[in-house]
Amino acid sequence: MKRLGAPDSEVDEFRGRREPETRQLRDFRSRGAASVLGALLAVILLALGQPALAADFFPISGAGSTWSSNAIDQWRKNVAQYGMKINYSANGSSDGRNQFKAGTVDFGVSEIPYGLTDGGVTDFPPTRGFAYMPIVAGGTSFMYNLSIGGKRITNLRLAGDTVTKIFTGAITNWNDPAIKADNPQLSLPARKIVPVVRSDGSGTTAQFTTYMANQYPDLWNAYCAKVGRSTPCGFTSIYPPSPGMVPQAQSVGVSGYVSQEGNDGTITYVEYSYALNKGFPVAKLLNKAGYYVEPTASNVAVALLSAQIKPDLTQELGGVYNNGDNRTYPMSSYSYMIVPTKLEGNFSESKGYTLGEFAYYFLCEGQQQADPLGYSPLPINLVRAGLDQVQRIPGSQKKSTDISKCNNPTFSADGSNTLAAKAPQPPACDKKGVSQCATGTGGAKSSSTALTGGGSTGDGSAGGGDAATDGSTGDAPGGGIDPDTGLPSGTARSNSTNAAAVPVSLSLQNSTWQYVLIGLAVALLIGLLVGPPLVHRYLAARRAS
Amino acid sequence: MAGERRTTALPGGIDRLYRAGLRTAGVIVLAIMATVGLFLLDRGFSALAVAKWRFLSTQNWQPDSHNFGIAAVLPGTLLIAGVAIVVAVPLAIGMALFISEYLTGWWQRTLTSAVDLMAAVPSVVFGLWGFHFLQGDIGITDLSAWLARYLGWIPLFAVTGADPDDPLASRTVYTSSTFIAGIVVGLMVMPIICAVMREAFSQAPAGEREGAYALGATRWGMIGAVVLPFGRGGMIGGTMLGLGRAMGETIAVYMIVAAVYRFQPHILQNGANSVSAMIALQYGSASQFGLSALMAAGLVLFLLTLVVNFAASAVIARSRSGQMSEG
Repeated sequence: MKRLGAPDSEVDEFRGRREPETRQLRDFRSRGAASVLGALLAVILLALGQPALAADFFPISGAGSTWSSNAIDQWRKNVAQYGMKINYSANGSSDGRNQFKAGTVDFGVSEIPYGLTDGGVTDFPPTRGFAYMPIVAGGTSFMYNLSIGGKRITNLRLAGDTVTKIFTGAITNWNDPAIKADNPQLSLPARKIVPVVRSDGSGTTAQFTTYMANQYPDLWNAYCAKVGRSTPCGFTSIYPPSPGMVPQAQSVGVSGYVSQEGNDGTITYVEYSYALNKGFPVAKLLNKAGYYVEPTASNVAVALLSAQIKPDLTQELGGVYNNGDNRTYPMSSYSYMIVPTKLEGNFSESKGYTLGEFAYYFLCEGQQQADPLGYSPLPINLVRAGLDQVQRIPGSQKKSTDISKCNNPTFSADGSNTLAAKAPQPPACDKKGVSQCATGTGGAKSSSTALTGGGSTGDGSAGGGDAATDGSTGDAPGGGIDPDTGLPSGTARSNSTNAAAVPVSLSLQNSTWQYVLIGLAVALLIGLLVGPPLVHRYLAARRAS
Repeated sequence: MAGERRTTALPGGIDRLYRAGLRTAGVIVLAIMATVGLFLLDRGFSALAVAKWRFLSTQNWQPDSHNFGIAAVLPGTLLIAGVAIVVAVPLAIGMALFISEYLTGWWQRTLTSAVDLMAAVPSVVFGLWGFHFLQGDIGITDLSAWLARYLGWIPLFAVTGADPDDPLASRTVYTSSTFIAGIVVGLMVMPIICAVMREAFSQAPAGEREGAYALGATRWGMIGAVVLPFGRGGMIGGTMLGLGRAMGETIAVYMIVAAVYRFQPHILQNGANSVSAMIALQYGSASQFGLSALMAAGLVLFLLTLVVNFAASAVIARSRSGQMSEG
């Protein structure tokens, strides 16, 4: 250090002859120079040391699902602090499977496995060795943008067949009786439904069409025949659109489209986390027990208790769709990572080590974040099975993980799923019937929706004539107060039509345009008032000269 | 030049080496072009062999059931490029004239680099801007609705299934259209058109400019009499170059349009597609045969772009501004 500082202090002494400096200042200067040099050296050492540290983790890259990409992106950020560099391009499950098959990525992420036949083409498994590893659970939700009288509604409920009819063009208007039956206390507007579907090869589409093909084969096959696909058409990764639908690319594309201010009346299918991120509500879906439920972490966990897991860990979801628990969200599913089990192509042991450590992270600690992100944590049996798969990745560290230390919310000492066991029962207002909850859903939980009279007969706006008819048909008069919503609830009157008036906003939709137009109008008016005399004066002046 | 006496010495060793280097570079560029074309032809051949001429007449894209063709996406590409040119050319002409004729010094340099900087903005950023800002935040759909209302009698601007007098109708029918994609692509190709035009305008001979002024022309009169006729070749050439780029634009179109595989002649209405956007969309999930079909579509686009660009360079070369100026 002294040697480093020496030349500088010599300069100081040289200078000192001409302009005297105090000893203290000189000392400070030389020490300052030395410390700057020291800091530089430290930075260089650090810079040299960084790659040496990071070399423990060889960068890996993956591609695939946009359904689970919000969780994967969060995990990638979390492990970056350990020096792991995980590249992930969320281009859709189909792309992930194709890229893994072609050997261009180290891992793929997909909702559906290889070997399925889509539109007559079988997606054959790759020749490279691979295994499926479940990574996270979640619900495919129906995010929508719909307002009544300029106020966005947040408590829409839909039955499975209504959803299927919406996405197959059988229901085209929000005031359709089928939607009305699901939402007895909403006066839905006579607005066109715009279903927003995925235009790229997508696992979300595959999950949704699997559900429709399994639960409502007649509706789905009729639609397939209409758009020129062979029937029975089963599931598909690329949604066949029909006129009136808006195809958009990727989950961010469909959720971004629905969340645009002007796109009132749109509905799309997308993982729950996208609706949370956008601050938009999701439709509550009717389950077999007759309750409309939201794809919360616990409802998904309950639903997946009846998922059948095959020996290769892939899922059979028929049981989930038909799960009779009150809390079931029917369109729940797992997402899978496709990992290599052999050293082939450019997959090396050092890559296997990184992939193994990443997998150990997200199967254990990572699961805690599933719920806040909009997913549901894996149950213990699948975590255990996933950990076994990690051991099959060449180059991965063979270690045993104590699952009880993972803080996985599904863990319990006796092996049952705690998250599912503790899942709250849906409120009575969520039961199919004459009332519905006013509370918001998805990303719009904080804003509730005002309910209208629904099935009650005490609707003042129905008019005297109506009331008279009501009386003559012998209907019971309006009911009391609903205990859950605090709003007047109706009696079981099936033939009632809600005649409540809904205000329709006739103003310009966008206030920015309004101001621009006002500005233009004002400028025009001033121009008309001031312009002619000015022009006249100018012309007169020119003529004079 | 050819008939004049030789004023330079015969090329020596270093000159010959230099010339050989340049020649190699030129040949390599041509060879790469040829490989791209041959690669597309080779890969696309199996699909073309199945589809034959129906490839040009089918409005569908289901390669796995052998029902595919570019009759929808190719006109879609041309429509998007057409809207782009209509948006970009007036902007580019105005900008180029303003920069080359009206501005001087610092302003000229700053605005020149600002326009060039626009060309450097990645197309995904333009796509995001178009999708979230143009369509989402400021609602360009209002303009579409207005156009459709008053110009709807022209078939191109007609919008089916929209009732302008229905207060409950939402603006979704005007979103993700050829028009919006075309505006964004137009803003993307504007800089290159502007750069070519600016070059052409700035080379208008000073002698003729002075002559026009001497005859009493105003600045606008001088531009009309000298600069614009002189730069006509540059204007046409720049427009064609922009058209070539607009036809190949991918990501911005991919992000904005609602991809349909049936030709949508109504530019204001939801639903549009282009060859390049279709390739980007379908590439990820394509089977072996589907990939071949996409390559065939790519080949057609490649040939079309080639024709447009060659035409552009021919026009530029023939024009006065493309040759030596006599200023």
